[in-house]
Amino acid sequence: MANRGGAAQRPNSQTQGKICQFKLVLLGESAVGKSSLVLRFVKGQFHEYQESTIGAAFLTQTVCLEDTTVKFEIWDTAGQERYHSLAPMYYRGAQAAIIVYDITNMDSFGRAKVWVKELQRQASPNIVIALAGNKADLANSRAVECDEAQAYADENGLLFMETSAKTAKNVNEIFLAIAKKLPKNEQVSGAGSANQGRRLVESDSSAKTAGNCCK
Amino acid sequence: MNEEELLIRAAEERAIIVNKYAHGREEGAQIDPWEDPQFEIYHVTDRYGFIHDERIAQRNDKKQIQVEMEREKKWLKMAKEWDHHKRSPEKLRRRVYKGIPDSLRGTFWSRLLNLETIKQEQKGKYEEMRAIAWKWSPDIRQIDLDVNRTYRDHVMFRERYGLKQQALFNILSAYSVYNREIGYCQGMSQIAALLLMYMNEEDAFWALSALICDKKYCMHGFYIQGFPKLVRYQDHHDKIMNKFLPKLKKHLDRHGVDTGIYTLKWFFQCYLDRVPFRLALRIWDAYLLDGERVLIAVGYNLLKLHRQQLMRLGMDDILTYLQIRMERSEMDDDIVMESLQRCMEELKKAKLHYPGPSPPDELPKMPFGTFTEPTFEQKVGRRTSELTALERVATESVVLRRQQTEEQLEMDQLSPRPPGATSNGHHRLSHISGSDGGNLGGSKFSFDPSIDDASSLVSRRSLADTSVTSTADLSVFSSVTRSHAQDNSLDTHSNVSDESSGPRAITPTATPRALTPQPSAPSPDVVRIYVPYSSPSPPSPCRQNGDLPPRSLPCPLTSDQNKLIIKVDNNSQEEQTPIVEHGHLVKPFQLNSPEIDLK
Ligand SMILES: Nc1nc2c(ncn2[C@@H]2O[C@H](COP(=O)(O)OP(=O)(O)OP(=O)(O)O)[C@@H](O)[C@H]2O)c(=O)[nH]1
Ligand SMILES: [Mg+2]
Repeated sequence: MANRGGAAQRPNSQTQGKICQFKLVLLGESAVGKSSLVLRFVKGQFHEYQESTIGAAFLTQTVCLEDTTVKFEIWDTAGQERYHSLAPMYYRGAQAAIIVYDITNMDSFGRAKVWVKELQRQASPNIVIALAGNKADLANSRAVECDEAQAYADENGLLFMETSAKTAKNVNEIFLAIAKKLPKNEQVSGAGSANQGRRLVESDSSAKTAGNCCK
Repeated sequence: MNEEELLIRAAEERAIIVNKYAHGREEGAQIDPWEDPQFEIYHVTDRYGFIHDERIAQRNDKKQIQVEMEREKKWLKMAKEWDHHKRSPEKLRRRVYKGIPDSLRGTFWSRLLNLETIKQEQKGKYEEMRAIAWKWSPDIRQIDLDVNRTYRDHVMFRERYGLKQQALFNILSAYSVYNREIGYCQGMSQIAALLLMYMNEEDAFWALSALICDKKYCMHGFYIQGFPKLVRYQDHHDKIMNKFLPKLKKHLDRHGVDTGIYTLKWFFQCYLDRVPFRLALRIWDAYLLDGERVLIAVGYNLLKLHRQQLMRLGMDDILTYLQIRMERSEMDDDIVMESLQRCMEELKKAKLHYPGPSPPDELPKMPFGTFTEPTFEQKVGRRTSELTALERVATESVVLRRQQTEEQLEMDQLSPRPPGATSNGHHRLSHISGSDGGNLGGSKFSFDPSIDDASSLVSRRSLADTSVTSTADLSVFSSVTRSHAQDNSLDTHSNVSDESSGPRAITPTATPRALTPQPSAPSPDVVRIYVPYSSPSPPSPCRQNGDLPPRSLPCPLTSDQNKLIIKVDNNSQEEQTPIVEHGHLVKPFQLNSPEIDLK
């Protein structure tokens, strides 16, 4: 709860039809490509030497879905284990999360599972979680089979895609899939006061995730 | 994989990485073409070694270089009389805050850090640690990942496995076994790289070590598990914000940008990457001279200097401003550094300049440089358990900070308040309502004339020197002021009119108003109060806001005849300070107790 007025204070927010604003957090081991995915999604760029994230970084991006504009407030967190203790600050109150692993690194997949568990326990009960197997362009050094990840995602009701920040494969797609799955019943109105959080309506959080991956 | 296989794999992985750095770029080294950034013909290198696109206009540093060349002579002279200057550092300090000439930075940084002495004492230790690290360090993988991502836009670090990358890898891995409590923490690589821009490998190692364990800097507490020093520094930063920039603090809180979110990189890397590099160097000059209090003061200084812009922005833009735009700020470095010195004085007066020495949990517990074999979990890079106790403290405190901010905001909304007052007033009052309302205390008494002063460049001193106390300005007060003054709640003054006077509250006129009274103040109903007051002890943290019922503010007097001039100078010999209203003395004003107990 307790979302800020944020974009609600934009003067023209009422003229654009339905606008929804969601907090999304990226989690996953260091160097799996969290920052790279965000950079690709937000700016359409890829940097081979993307600096490591210290603490967290914040970016926003807006996507349009039929009659709805969905604005993502994205928190890209630091991957090193030591920063784990700060993560609750970022996933607290998040409506969506992307948990990223590197398909060439089995350990990072194990780490992703730990994150899933933690979110299921600690984050908002309605949080939409997506699992991203990143660096799909490096499929010839693959260590995590797509089927295995897909099965795990199905078991846990997660969205799943293999992505590549480098080639842009499935990057917009995964964000769009999340946008589609998020409940958009309530509109952000113009009257922005600090605590006017949108109460997310109970929705089909148990609904079966669309199988969505591999090739 | 069984345990043995895991160990073998980890050892192999480490050996491969170490081997690559050991051989660097010598003939036969296999370096994928994508590992090296391409140099384009449009690229130019700035005076610090960063590579830019020539087509994008860069600052012209010619004049700065000229000035520095002239200063070099003085610095060289100072080097000869170093012992004297270290003992009585007034001149040294003055010059350091003007900036150490870049050509002599390495020399003087080394001196400020006492590297010669340390190296004498620790002869051979660095090589020893490096050799152990290559064999044992469990942090090699992370270090390798980060060397690959550290300042690749700098000439020294551009080439994969180039000389300085090798050095960076070496000192970070050596340090990771030298200080096992830290090992390697993300954030250290940029600091080490900065040191390597000015020093050789071994010196940079000892410099890093001094920054981490010397009690002047004590960065140890930042990087260890649970980040205890970060939590403490953030609390301290909050105290400063509440006292000196309450409006801005409330604004940031309201937009979800609390201290926990923007100060981590500031403190962990002493402002690297958050201000322009050339300014970061100046800040580092000061940091190396004066130590950790510089970290605190720079944070305050930056927010103070940029607060007008920040006050206009919503969440997204505030964060973009703090993350990106501040790094591209064109503000003159000299002005920032001068302002920094004033901030330091201001904080000192309020006894908020130093968050205190590191408590035991922030200090190293194990001796440095003694090798102990890593545990199985460390070797294979697996965490031993759930969060440790220390980490849980960190988690709780970051979550708590957010919760309290939210509760406070909610409370501000629920409780009735007069139209002229902002939630800020409430916030503060709720902290002090436990005590006798007539008791004026340090925390309440936190009005600083510069808070709302459009020109942050006016020093506190210059305001003090001019005894102008009646400059009218809407940005400081609204009509509610007077009733507050009678209520002895001076602190709330600074918080008034956040919303009520709308955008006017942040009029960007850069006029030192105390010197140049604005002739046509928009409202006659305005006062300026100058309270040169320093609390004898810093107020205790205002943590549990939730449990005190907010006191409603008295109704504002709306007579537009009101004009109130108060001068309170607690330091002066006078016991009573007159209050003058409509030009007449109305009642004596007395401070009963300068302290207040915040429970
Ligand atoms: N081949 C390939 N490389 C990638 C991809 N995504 C990221 N990388 C590279 O992987 C490295 C790490 O990427 P980052 O985005 O910095 O990883 P991160 O997860 O944000 O790391 P931390 O900030 O340390 O947590 C960089 O060198 C990227 O260039 C990808 O899809 N394909
Ligand atoms: Mg990152």
